[in-house]
Order: sequence, then C-alpha cells, then structure tokens
Amino acid sequence: MELLDKLAILSDAAKYDVACTSCGVDRQAVKGQLGATTAAGICHAFSADGRCVTLLKVLLSNACAYDCAYCVNRRGNDVPRATFTARELAELTIGFYRRNYIEGLFLSSGVLRNPDYTTEQMCEAIRILRDEYGFRGYIHAKAVPGTSEELLVRLGVLVDRMSLNIEFPSETSLKALAPQKAKEGIVRPMGFIRDGIKANYQDKRLSTVRRTRFVPAGQSTQMIIGASPETDHHILKLSAGLYQKFELARVFFSAYIPVNRDPLLPALSEAPLLREHRLYQADWLMRFYQFDVDEIIDAEHPMLDPLIDPKCGWALNHIDQFPAEINKVPYEMLLRIPGVGVRGAKRIAMARRERRLRFEDLKRLNITLKRAKYFITCNGAFAEGVLFDPVGIYNQLVADARGRRRKGVLDGQLSLFAEPEADMGAWGQAANVSPTWSAQALAAAGKSAVVPPEVAAQGARLLAAS
Amino acid sequence: MSVAFSYLYDGTLEGLLSAVFTAFQRRECPEDIVTEAGLQESLFVSYEPLSTDLEQAERVQAGIVNKLGPANYDNVKRVFLSDDQRKGGIILRYLQYTLRQGPHSCTHLANPVVHDFEEVLSVVSKEAHYMLQFVRFAQLEGGVFFSRIEPKASVVPLIMDHFAERFNVQPFMIHDARHQLTGVFDTQKWWLLDARELQLPEQTSSEDEFQSLWQCFFDTVAIQERRNPTCQRNFMPKRFWGNMCEQIPAQLRHRRPQTTTPTQAARQLLPA
Ligand code: SF4
Repeated sequence: MELLDKLAILSDAAKYDVACTSCGVDRQAVKGQLGATTAAGICHAFSADGRCVTLLKVLLSNACAYDCAYCVNRRGNDVPRATFTARELAELTIGFYRRNYIEGLFLSSGVLRNPDYTTEQMCEAIRILRDEYGFRGYIHAKAVPGTSEELLVRLGVLVDRMSLNIEFPSETSLKALAPQKAKEGIVRPMGFIRDGIKANYQDKRLSTVRRTRFVPAGQSTQMIIGASPETDHHILKLSAGLYQKFELARVFFSAYIPVNRDPLLPALSEAPLLREHRLYQADWLMRFYQFDVDEIIDAEHPMLDPLIDPKCGWALNHIDQFPAEINKVPYEMLLRIPGVGVRGAKRIAMARRERRLRFEDLKRLNITLKRAKYFITCNGAFAEGVLFDPVGIYNQLVADARGRRRKGVLDGQLSLFAEPEADMGAWGQAANVSPTWSAQALAAAGKSAVVPPEVAAQGARLLAAS
Repeated sequence: MSVAFSYLYDGTLEGLLSAVFTAFQRRECPEDIVTEAGLQESLFVSYEPLSTDLEQAERVQAGIVNKLGPANYDNVKRVFLSDDQRKGGIILRYLQYTLRQGPHSCTHLANPVVHDFEEVLSVVSKEAHYMLQFVRFAQLEGGVFFSRIEPKASVVPLIMDHFAERFNVQPFMIHDARHQLTGVFDTQKWWLLDARELQLPEQTSSEDEFQSLWQCFFDTVAIQERRNPTCQRNFMPKRFWGNMCEQIPAQLRHRRPQTTTPTQAARQLLPA
C-alpha cells in the first residue's frame, strides 16, 4: 500500500481524538539535534472544522482486535485497514516537522493483537525518532488500556504526554459500549503514570546524572459526551475528581458523533457540540478562574444552561455579590465577572493603580463590555442603559448570544467550537433534562423568569418548567 | 500660533533613537518622527531632517535599558518593526512619558500614550506569533529549506532565533516578500539580507511528495460534522493562506511558480 493511502486511512481513523495539544513542557534546543518544545504549544494550522492542528495525529494501526460500539475501527466494521511500520511513521514525522507543519507526533493505535504488542510497536517508532533522529519535539502517546507496567515505563520515558481515555463518564456505560476495556485496565495505569511522574520529581533531587524524565508534560484523558445518559453534573464532578485524584493536566470532552449504528447507541440528529462547549467553559472556570465545581453546578439542577455560559449563570445565581466596582473589588472578584478573562482582569488590576477607571478606559484596555456591563460599576455608576435586574439580564444575555450565533460570531477565548442553535432534541438526549440551572435558581429566589417571545421558541420548555 | 513641526529620519532604528535623543536634548515635542516615505506634505507642518548619530542612539538605548529594563527596550524595537505610520511619534511620546515616570509607568495601560504603544506592540507580537505558526518550509536542491512570507510587520528579525534553535541542523531562509528582507541561517548563525528578489534552485524531488502527504493529512483530520469555516478563519486569517501549501486549492497544487533572481543568498548557503 502507498504511504499516502496509509496516511489517509490512519489519520481519518484518529481524527475523533480531540486531545491534540502540544503544551506543558519547555524543552530547549540543543546544538546538533532537531527540535524543541514551548510550554504554551504552537498551533500550526486550523482544519476546516476550526480545530487546531499541532501534532501529526495518527493511529499506528486501525486493525483493531476490539469491538467498541462507538468506534469506527471496531473489529466488526468493514473499513479499509492499514498499519504503519515504525520507520515510515518516524520518517513522516521528521519530514513534516522540518517543514514547520507540526510540533510533533500524537500516536495512538487500535489494539494490534494485544495491548502489549501494540505498545511495543509504538515504542519502537518513538525510539527511532528520539534515538536515531535525536528528535526533541513533542510526542503524545495514547496508552492502550491493559498494557503492562513495564511497557508503560518504556513508553513514558520516550514521550512528553501520555493519555488513557476513560471513554465514558461511568463504568456502566463503559461496560455496555466498550466491553473489552475494563475500568481497571484504564484506571490502574492512570494511577501508575501519576506515581511515575511523582517518583520522577524525587529522582531529580537524588541524582545529578543525565536522566530521562517520565511523562514531563503530564497525562490527560478524554470522555465522549452524549452517547450515554450521564448528566453534566455527573461529568463535571467526575472530571474534578480526576484532576484531583490523578493530577491530570487536562480532561477533554468529545461530542459524540455517530459513526456506527448500534442498538446501544442513541440516534442523535447532530453532534451535541453546544453541550461540549458549555462543559469546556465550566472546565475552564475550574482550572483558570478558581471556581469550585459545586459553585458551577449542583445535583438538583444537573444540566448546564445551554442558553448562557456558566460564568453568567453563576453570576446571576449570586447576584448579591454584584455589581462589582471595577476600581475596588479584589483581583479574585475581577476574575469572576462574566466576560472578563484572566488577561482582562490582570490588565484592570494594573491600570487602576494609575487612575480611577471609567468605561472609556475599559474599552482602551480591550475589555469587551458586552456581558460585563451588566455586572459592573465604574466609580459607582452603571454603564449607560443598564438595568440591574437579574431576570432582565438573563433574557438580554440569551437574546445577545442567539444574535451572535446567527451571525456566526463566536464568544471570546473559549470558542474553539461551533455553537449551533441550541437544539433541545439533541441536548436532551442525555437524560430527562431538568429545568436549566440559572432559570430555576432565579425562580427559587422568588423572581419569576419572564420568557420573551424570541427566547420562548428555544428555551420555553425549560424555563416554564420551574 | 507656532507652526507644528516633525522630525525626518532615515528609517533605521538608530535614526529613530537619534531623533528621540534630539527631542530630549532640545526639550522639544515634535508632532511626529517620520521617514521620507511616510512624509505627508502639509502646509501646517514643517519637517526638519535629522542625521543619524550612532553614539546618540546608543545613549538612548542604554537609557531605556537602565531605566526601564531590557524587556522594555525589546518592546521599543518591536514597535519600530511595525508598519504603522505613526510609530515614530508613538515611540517618542511613550519614552517621554515612561522615562520621566519610571518603570512602573509602563503598566499604565489606560494612559493614552501607553495605550497607543501597547496597541502597536500587540499587533507586531501577534504577527510574529502567526509566523511561528504558519511559516512553511520547502526543501530546495542542495538542502536549503525555504519559506516565503508576507507579514503585516517586518517580523523576520523577531522569529529567526526561534527557528534557528529548533532547526539548527538545517540551513534555511525566510524571505519576507513584503518588506524585502530575508533571514538566512547556515546552521551556525543567522543574518539578515536586504533582498528584493531571490533566484532559487528548484525544489527537491521529494518535496512534492511531502506536500501531498501533508495536504492529505490536513484535509482528512477535519470532521465533517463539525465544519466551521468562520472559526477556522478567525484563528488562521485568509491572508496567510497563499503561502501555506495545504491551503492551495487542489487543482493548483504542484504548479507553483518560484520566486525570482539574484542567487547570492541561496548560493552562499549551497554547496558549490
Ligand atoms: S480499542 Fe475500541 S476504541 Fe480503540 S480502536 Fe479498538 S475498537 Fe476503537
């Protein structure tokens, strides 16, 4: 088979893995060797779906022995199969890297014979890259569930990041949809990698000899959203637990895209991209904005509001903490203002040392007032035309967001993904959807949520339920 | 009413810094510091041409480094590399403000003078980062890797270190066709060439193959169900696509014209 055909098959088979980042490790260049990495990572292109392309993301092989219900590569599917030789893969990576197409390699694989055999093949390809080509670029390897610890160590000292996908937000779903991947086969190696990373830090003090670090960019995981009945509350709790327990660098969410027909799988009309987007927003709040998972969502209202972002949802539910006076509130509170990002909060904190900020000044600091204006005052005054009424603000935010989506404009930094119109059909697939959190909490506070006609079409069912 | 006046300088960083020196020395506030090319004839502005004085420039440089720190001098250099016509005046007013107020004043982001400076600075820095992302090299006969770019600011000097480090095992050239500036790296050191046109050797025979492989990969990784061209263009503006091989429409691929003339740079790099 031609290399081009192999690449087509094996990149096509790998494209559903979303964890394509090249960040987490700063490795300086060395004279005489190819490559380096930067802590922030570099995106080298953006594909037609708007996702960042930073690593050569391929499978070593799609000739998989397993039969996971949701996967294109399942044994039972009649699709063309291919397997790279270790050398082909190494040469391809180097060829791309030297042309500045990529930061490195993201290698995963279907189960070739058995987990250990597969991992050995992966190790060999990466060994050629590191040893023969002296390659210092980024390598992310997805470990195959069930791989022996000995091989995990071999792989771990060759790569920068490792990941094991937990695949589904619960063991029941995993059992049903990926019968050959036991929870133990995923969770145990995750614990093993965590310990390995820790042990490595201890080594650092003990030995001054040149040593190879173990998984320096940390480990990550991924789960599929919308193919199984778990709620957002369940998912966010789980991911908070994963960050804590396994000290993960990232938890990725992947909107379920139906590729197989299987009675076990839901028939979605379209991928739940908006839901995925909201989950990422919530994830960001936890990782960069010092929010606790229980502040963002609770068991009584277990789904994130599709109509507004979770930070706005939080602010509306804690309206007693607002308005925030830009010239006074501490940095931590600046971070909590909807529409103000980490950068924005820092800029405000810096600039207000020189002068009392007015709304014009905020514009000069490149703070977008679109959402923020409802929640802030400058020198005691609201922005022109702002009425500080939570129900009114909610409705306004919903209307604004819909207008933006219609124009195809995306919200701020988080908009890595499309936001289609909130489609309650696909949305509700997860479970019996309960009323949205923000709207219900408003109602609980004794404020009836007014549903303007333009919102009614989309959200009426949810809002009215309270 | 006194007539407004501006300084004229020769377009070099040294020239601009000399002009700043003059303004400080004479305690003057010129409207702007412009080059011959950027000059807009006006009845209400008079222009005074200044000569470039290396010693003066170095004194200003030392002043900035000592008072505001090396990072701020670096920022001044970055703003200087911008295509913004107002950069001379912006740098002058920024230095007048910050050198008087001290290093903390560089964070006075709501101050109009600091704001203008920061705004231009962020355009240049963004453009430099875009180049780290979107530069594409093609291998030429003889082994040199070549890239053609058309950035909105003259950022070649800002990106050479990055590539010279990670690609220290391969000679390469980055040709900025818009600012007629070429960065050349020979695996030991890098330098800049003022090159209007370059005559280059052919691409190697394996180059086409790598480009097809990359195009194939690039087309394949996109998920149909998630198609989102708006998002794609937000992150990767269309103005870069012309120099990125994966963005060339299928029917035009492999038939790209080479850039033209004096071979100096390429020859120096190539084995005879
Ligand atoms: S193990 Fe399951 S998910 Fe992985 S490639 Fe095989 S069938 Fe697909």
